Amino acid sequence: MSCDCHTDFPNIFLPREAEIVRADQVTASEKHFTLKMKDGKPMEYNPGQILEVSVHGFGEIPIGFASSPTRKNTFDIVIRTVGRVSTAINKLGKGDSLFVRGPLGTGFSLEKLRGHPILIVAGGIGLCPTRSLIQYVLDRRDEFKSFKLFFGSKSPKDQLFLDDLAQWRGSEHVEYLETVDKGEEGWKGNVGVITTLFAKTKIDPDTRVIVCGPPIMYKFVMRELDKLGIPHDNVYVDLERRMKCGLGKCGHCQMNDKYVCFDGPVFSFKDIEHLEEAFS
Amino acid sequence: MKSHFISDSDFSKFVESLIRSVRVVAPVAKKTKFSFETLESVSDLRLDYDVTILPPKKAIMPVKQELVRFNGNSIESAISAQDQVLLGVHFYDVKAIDMLDELFSQGHKDYNWLAYRQHTTIIASNVQKVSNRAFFASVGQGVQAKGHDGFLTKVSGGYVFDAISPKAEALVKQGTFKDASPAQVTEAKVANEKVLKECPETLKHSTEAVQKKVREAFKKEELWKQFSDQCFSCGSCNIVCPTCYCFDVQDEWNLDGTSGKRCRTWDGCMLGEFAQVSLGGGHTENFREERHTRFRHRMMRKATYLNDKLNGPACVGCGRCSSSCVPDIADPVKIINKIMEA
Repeated sequence: MSCDCHTDFPNIFLPREAEIVRADQVTASEKHFTLKMKDGKPMEYNPGQILEVSVHGFGEIPIGFASSPTRKNTFDIVIRTVGRVSTAINKLGKGDSLFVRGPLGTGFSLEKLRGHPILIVAGGIGLCPTRSLIQYVLDRRDEFKSFKLFFGSKSPKDQLFLDDLAQWRGSEHVEYLETVDKGEEGWKGNVGVITTLFAKTKIDPDTRVIVCGPPIMYKFVMRELDKLGIPHDNVYVDLERRMKCGLGKCGHCQMNDKYVCFDGPVFSFKDIEHLEEAFS
Repeated sequence: MKSHFISDSDFSKFVESLIRSVRVVAPVAKKTKFSFETLESVSDLRLDYDVTILPPKKAIMPVKQELVRFNGNSIESAISAQDQVLLGVHFYDVKAIDMLDELFSQGHKDYNWLAYRQHTTIIASNVQKVSNRAFFASVGQGVQAKGHDGFLTKVSGGYVFDAISPKAEALVKQGTFKDASPAQVTEAKVANEKVLKECPETLKHSTEAVQKKVREAFKKEELWKQFSDQCFSCGSCNIVCPTCYCFDVQDEWNLDGTSGKRCRTWDGCMLGEFAQVSLGGGHTENFREERHTRFRHRMMRKATYLNDKLNGPACVGCGRCSSSCVPDIADPVKIINKIMEA
């Protein structure tokens, strides 16, 4: 019997090939990749959006863009070795291929940030997705008022993007404040949780605030922002959940009635603070 | 829409000829229960079934479905849909398929569902026997069954066949159909109305009232803990549900070690690791770690979260979850009625 198979349909699970043009092991467990699309069609995305990254035979994982779309032709991702897929990805190097689907999800609403002071509060690996916005603000500095960046890590050796950090420390374009939960020999900077940085600078109540970090961090940062009188619709959070499809279908990332992969991962705090599953 | 009549013996001939020309998926007996299977012979067809073990969505999105295939560094779509007829679908399952059509169309269109759905002709059939946990008469009363191509109703001496779509009219030409008489049309109507009065279980409140009160009960932790006290987190209620569509995505190698496929498999939000992420170093974060939070999530999805997208609840009252649950705690009627009365 002949097969009357119909195959001419678009397939949202079909990824595109990207070449690794640079790969740096940046910490013991994290690798920083710069990718370029093989088909020549550039990846067009907004800061804060995500993509599904895969290795054939190992599977896909959702990852936030770690570079700004203002940096043309290539884009960055950072992968922490955690499970089967991330381990497979982190064995790859320059010249190897990764497969990507995206951009997916909802990123930062740039029109709501433009013209205002900006504060980004990033904890740990939360610096990776927010780097897409940090670079954007630095590249389009005139579009924003003051720019402050708080970065907290577990320890100095867990710090990511060391070249960036060195640049930001001395930059006149961003007021960069950093802290580590636990210092080590040679560390002269602040020691303490990320909220200890709030006492070190003056924050304009008109500031638009972006928060991304481990789940525990949000409630403590919100407490500080409430003290400053920053309205909740001026606060944006970039959330993490288990995601499989990245398309708002498979259900894994669901937080009450929201799909973090589709409705987010960036949300206005005001839009989700009433959701019982958002920050519990 | 036109109502036709076909006699029992002509119906058998019609199905036999249909089987020879196209894949027909229909209810057949599986020991004391029923299952949608590829029909080999009309003698296997059991349109007198009460409810099937798994819903007919499996004919469109199988338990395990290939999404893409890879070989070395090349990768291709695995979508390959063949025409099929899904015969003997009860109206509650028609509603469920229609909901999945909607959910797989909204936002990103997923042709891994839609392609197979578009090549499926659905011939529904009336409920001849009501299952012992059904509550289809009282759930989502404002939601009409739609999206099917035709509807068969058993009447004396044969079937009344309502041909709804052009695909159904084309099928009529393949069999010995006559125009249904007014008496036959009335008999069919009576049969379909009668069955709505035979459900053993009844939701006592409207969709809107249920949506509001169940959502408001989210923080009644003690209540959810009581409901889920005996839950095994086995996911059976998810797997048998016609409106559940959560899935996992995993890669598989072929034996050659260079080619393989990426597949999705049915998944269940009641399973312990469903919302768990790895943090590295053996640490994990589970966004619904406690059993009662998963139990609550399932009920929220059925009665509240998807209502706005579907214009009704994501439940059709088939009763499969109730009868598949070993400790018998999954029954939406019991849960919802209790919340409404609390």
